[in-house]
Amino acid sequence: MTPIRLLGVVRPLLALSLAVSVAQGAEQLNLFAWSEYVPQKVIDGFTKETGIKVNYETYASGEEMLSKLLIGGAAYDLVQPPDYIAEAMINNKLLRPLDRAQLKNIGNLAPEFLGLPHDPEQKFTVPYLTGTVGIVINTEKVKEPVRGYRDVFQAKFKNRIVVVNDNREIVSWALVTLGLDQNALTSANLARARPLVAEWIKLVKVFDSDSPKTPLLNGDVDLGVVWSGEAARLIQENKKFAYVLPMEGAHPFVDVLAIPTTSKHVAAAHRFLDYLLRPDVSKLISDEFPYTNPNAAARRLLSAEQLANPASYPRLEKFNTFRDIGKAAAAADKLVTDLKSAK
Amino acid sequence: MSPGSAQRRRPGLTAWLLLAPLLLWLLAFVVAPAAILILYSFAERDELGRVAFGFSLENFQRVADPTYLAVFGRSVGYAALTTVICAVLGYPVAWCIARASEKWRHRLLLLVMIPFWTSFLIRTYAWITILKSEGLLNGLLLWLHAIAAPLELLYTPAAVIVGLVYAYLPFMILPIYGSAEKLDPALLEAAHDLGCGPWRAFVRVVVPLTLPGFYAGVLMVFVPAIGMFAITDLMGGARVPMIGNVIQDQFVGQARDKPFGAALALVFMLLFVAVYWLLQRRAERKLA
Repeated sequence: MTPIRLLGVVRPLLALSLAVSVAQGAEQLNLFAWSEYVPQKVIDGFTKETGIKVNYETYASGEEMLSKLLIGGAAYDLVQPPDYIAEAMINNKLLRPLDRAQLKNIGNLAPEFLGLPHDPEQKFTVPYLTGTVGIVINTEKVKEPVRGYRDVFQAKFKNRIVVVNDNREIVSWALVTLGLDQNALTSANLARARPLVAEWIKLVKVFDSDSPKTPLLNGDVDLGVVWSGEAARLIQENKKFAYVLPMEGAHPFVDVLAIPTTSKHVAAAHRFLDYLLRPDVSKLISDEFPYTNPNAAARRLLSAEQLANPASYPRLEKFNTFRDIGKAAAAADKLVTDLKSAK
Repeated sequence: MSPGSAQRRRPGLTAWLLLAPLLLWLLAFVVAPAAILILYSFAERDELGRVAFGFSLENFQRVADPTYLAVFGRSVGYAALTTVICAVLGYPVAWCIARASEKWRHRLLLLVMIPFWTSFLIRTYAWITILKSEGLLNGLLLWLHAIAAPLELLYTPAAVIVGLVYAYLPFMILPIYGSAEKLDPALLEAAHDLGCGPWRAFVRVVVPLTLPGFYAGVLMVFVPAIGMFAITDLMGGARVPMIGNVIQDQFVGQARDKPFGAALALVFMLLFVAVYWLLQRRAERKLA
């Protein structure tokens, strides 16, 4: 055991000394992004073209990213928050205005993904990938039509459902099902949603945000409410899976890129942003992570099959994203924790 | 007390120097974090989830909320069941290893340790492969015609207990083995000579002498098992929250309420201290 443990100590030290020597020689960029969201190919291509070394650190939730950024310590040059976290960051002056002159490829973005409520003037953020939260069905096991949340959460599907382990998501589905605003997490609305959430939670077999496709692939569950990218991968894997936007109202999300005010490599961050906006690079991202690509020029490079994937490119009528709700997030959290405990 | 022992009790400079690394370690990684937790637990969260220092008892009032008490109770229950199963499975194993010949003892101990060479997460994923609906165990049972349809194994409370017992069993075996190995076989012979049957010899001689190892094992299983959150998420499907899940959620999850998380963690730590103190007192009384 000892030699192995020793190696564990020596290796990071080696890596550290390497990193120091590299830092002295070349420029670098500290990227803080979702795990499994930026292809290694894309990062390597950037380093090859520009000589800028990219340190890619990951997180599993927008909240985790914000916590680590606020603690300080590491100075990140580029972060990748979801829309509502970006909104909170803009309101609290944590993001630096972008220099449009350095983003020549920004015109590639489709207009419907610009000027959204989290950044109405598009001053601080650039959309990276977008998606929806929707219903995925294993059509070999579920024969009846499933159109909305009420169809998913039925007693006959008890213990056959997977949903993302995201308390705000779950509460928002109940709110829209009741015809309420998904962003109005007032105590009156939460009280109205409570019985519905309680009923739904009893039916769910798995809560998983990281890889909700796994129990569907493994045959442990037959339907669920998941991120569209996960559903798109399931459909790529097997045509028996289908994706449906809930008729009560689908929730789209935008993951954006932005430069924190603490960034020390602002020029390199702009270069990387502009590089990601290039159609050929953006296409590589879509190849690996089949979410909705907001880059219209990149979409023209995708195959007919990619564009026909109903989870990647669903027909969306309204673009109604999450807004920053401040302390109300804690109330949603308590509600779901409470109801999960009660069963 | 003899004069010599009184002198030995006063540590000299050398002793302090030798102790210094340990004391620094304790200061940096036990005392300082605990102090931060105490400070946080009386604070509040601001809009962004930062800590706004102050003095409020609100977090502790929330800990006493039935929701979180239920989570506490459930975590203790799961950890207690895990500890009992580990003790029942681990004690005979440790005893047999300790009684084996020296050659076998080393081999068997190695077998207990080998799983540690693989990452804990990978071992948990291996269990998922075994227990899932189209997994190895169901496949085997179907092939043997022992069952007609796949059993529901994964994402159940039983799966969580399997994962917990699997993860912590070595921590029960090793300390008991430590005690059992030191036990002088002559004592057992003496017990037999004095008329004890095998069962009485075990209860009157072996059990009391291996109790310290047993208590150490109980602590080493029970304490980490309460706080575990990865197994409940991966093998339990995150259906019932454990105290570890709730605390994690306050620090890096959606709730972003570090002061409340700190209050939960603090109460949790006090609980450990209480358990430790109780066990310690019982062990001392047994020895006396």
